Amino acid sequence: MGYGKYLVFRILNALLVLVIATLIMSALFVKVAREDNKSKLFEELRSWDQTEGKKIKQSLGEEEYWRQRAIEEQNLRKKYNLDKSFWGQVIEKTKRSLMWDFGQSTVSIGGTNNVRDIVFMYLPRSIVLFTTATIITMILGIYLGVRAANMPGSVFDRSLSIFALLTYSLPTWWTGMMFILIFAYKLGWFPLQSNFLPTDTILDKIHKLALPVLTFVFVAFGGWAWTTRNIMIGTLQEDFIMAARAKGLPERKVIYGHALRAAAPPIVTMVIFSLLGSLGGAIISEQVFSYPGMGMLYWMALNQGETNIVIGLTYFSVVLYLSGVVLADMIYGFLDPRVKVGASAKM
Amino acid sequence: MRWVDFKESLSEFANEFKREKTGMLGLILLILLVVVAAAAPIITEPNFPDKWRDPQYWEAYPQTVPPTWYNMFTSKDLVPQQVYTVDSPNVHVDNQKRSMTIEVQYNLSDDYYYGPKGILIKGFNVTVPPGSPFQPKISVYLERPDGRTVPLVEKKPLSSGMSIAIGRDGNIKKATYIWLYKEVTGKTISPDDVPVEVVLIRDMVRPLFAVVDPSAYSSKNATGLVDEIISNPQTLHGTYTLKVTITKPFRTDVKVDNLHVTFLGRVYGSMGTDYQGRDLWAAIIWGSRVSLVIGITVSLLSTIIGIVYGVTSAYLGGNADEVLMRINELFSSIPSLPILILIGATMGHIPLSMIVLLLVVFGWMGIARISRSMALQIKEQTYVEAARALGAGTGRIIFKHMLPQLLPYAFAVIALNVPIAVISEASLSFLGLGDPTSVTWGQILHDAEVQSAATKGYWWWVLPPGLGIAVVGLTFVLIGTALDRILNPRLRRL
Repeated sequence: MGYGKYLVFRILNALLVLVIATLIMSALFVKVAREDNKSKLFEELRSWDQTEGKKIKQSLGEEEYWRQRAIEEQNLRKKYNLDKSFWGQVIEKTKRSLMWDFGQSTVSIGGTNNVRDIVFMYLPRSIVLFTTATIITMILGIYLGVRAANMPGSVFDRSLSIFALLTYSLPTWWTGMMFILIFAYKLGWFPLQSNFLPTDTILDKIHKLALPVLTFVFVAFGGWAWTTRNIMIGTLQEDFIMAARAKGLPERKVIYGHALRAAAPPIVTMVIFSLLGSLGGAIISEQVFSYPGMGMLYWMALNQGETNIVIGLTYFSVVLYLSGVVLADMIYGFLDPRVKVGASAKM
Repeated sequence: MRWVDFKESLSEFANEFKREKTGMLGLILLILLVVVAAAAPIITEPNFPDKWRDPQYWEAYPQTVPPTWYNMFTSKDLVPQQVYTVDSPNVHVDNQKRSMTIEVQYNLSDDYYYGPKGILIKGFNVTVPPGSPFQPKISVYLERPDGRTVPLVEKKPLSSGMSIAIGRDGNIKKATYIWLYKEVTGKTISPDDVPVEVVLIRDMVRPLFAVVDPSAYSSKNATGLVDEIISNPQTLHGTYTLKVTITKPFRTDVKVDNLHVTFLGRVYGSMGTDYQGRDLWAAIIWGSRVSLVIGITVSLLSTIIGIVYGVTSAYLGGNADEVLMRINELFSSIPSLPILILIGATMGHIPLSMIVLLLVVFGWMGIARISRSMALQIKEQTYVEAARALGAGTGRIIFKHMLPQLLPYAFAVIALNVPIAVISEASLSFLGLGDPTSVTWGQILHDAEVQSAATKGYWWWVLPPGLGIAVVGLTFVLIGTALDRILNPRLRRL
């Protein structure tokens, strides 16, 4: 099967998964929202009973009361979207989400109610923080990992490994809390909170971002370095490396030209998933730093029952993941033509 | 694979593992952790989770104070907790027919920088006959080394189970302010004139144990002096006497056999206390239980599911494989934390078993993908073909011939996944969605975050739970990487 056909097959597969995932998400969130709305409707109907209903009952009699009550209930059902069937609503929501139309939020954020606009308003903030941090982490991690693989067993290699193992078991948000305590509270080098004010200059913003970025890089680069090191050590023992060295190629060229290229596929996969994942923000770490990114928006929307925002953000992260899968497959197929996947191999 | 072969390879494996220094270190740490977790009721106190949620139980503990050993690192030593009962040599009870006087001597030596954080008097047992209009009344005075006496409580009706909390009771704070104002300015003010911030925010225990002589302070005018004594007092060292007098009217009686007078420390225990005065040391020890149990269970279950799923998918191949892999992708694409938050929010609180279930549901996909790719290689081997030719069924081939090949890999994965599970559970607890019936490290950090402990510098509250998580994680990472090195000899040559 040709590369193009393989690619189309993969994309179609990803789209199928996207549709099913969106359907499940919509069903789940719509269910929760309906439960929520049902109790709100019940509450409102009861308060109607005690005010308007009571008056009608006394002045116009029982029959009229029930008629009025039915009308009121009908109106409330419409108001809370309960007049449509559950599945109809779910399919409607799925269709709209797939078209990137997430509807309106109940509260206005940053002057708009359109969920898509809100998501795209928060997205750059996550990019500024997390994508920057991820890029620094990757560059540092891959560089150090290659260096360590080059001199395995050395003091540098060992200390890097120990550092990686230590940071692997640290929760990022806890490290953030500790960094705030040490660098912001004790030493006073950084502000305690990282939320931007309208009056902030570029320098202020960099100053506020420094501590969160430092935290993420600190926690993540050890793991990157360690993984790169392990992949590289495996590759450096291959015969073609020995052949390259025997040819008399300079060591730099052997490592960066031959070995790193052969070790690229898994590293590229990691790069893709980390970069795309960084767009989604981090729910807990953003709380620790009071940073208003995608994670903070997610948390706020979940807590305040903003179903439309939650569906929008969830859809966004599903799309990110699936495009990561497709991208990784594409690059894999490109870098390593031997790759054949499941049934598609037989086509 | 026969049992004898299995046993042999296992003992060979054990021998190899013994040679891995880091692996052995991990194993020792693991044993230590298990011992600590199992012995938590003995090391600290039994039924701790029940006490944890009962604010009453922590009444006699100082709030947000650092651990005792903190004194070793500061030049300004802080007083430790002191509890006195009727039997203590410095407590004198003078019990008359109609009145009772209790005197507690408290020596604030020059070594300590500040006085105690508060004083708590409790353990009165009052008998009043039914219908009696009379009630015992209590007055509390603090006699200071400079000869002055502070009236803290005057003629307050006393009932059983009542406690006098100097440092927390707003009326006592007012009384202290009134006394201080009178000492400094000579004027008497009414309780209504006391500034609200004094009652709500200020530490009014420090002025009790402070020098009130104007020469010790820089402020020249009287009101400035009051403020300075409150905000920046000079400690007065010496012997204080806490004097409690109780009047016992006709036919009433007061017993003080169970009396406890606690001078709350400015340091406490091995790990300090949190905002409710709860002992963090015991909480850390008890938290290790949840962490270990959840970490190991989640990792074990998700690895088993992942490996069986991956191997099955690889063995079946063709369309079944595609479908299984699409389902796998579906699960990985759904962001797990928001779903968990949503479930937690609708259920109120998630019990531990539910947390395990949810973390497993969202934790098996990566393992399934890797074991599938490993199984694809095993599948091509001749013995699998031979088994199929002999007529072995799918289940037999998968469970008897292919899974055992992945078993060593499974051990490494289980170990390496424990830290991830531990961090996930801590994250849920940190968001306030954990199981409220148990004490977990995540919950301690949740409270710390809510009370903004990090930005107030309460290091003893933030540091230990995270270190706990890190130690559990490190233990399993050490074991896991050692296993990995044995199984991937390429990484080992070094």
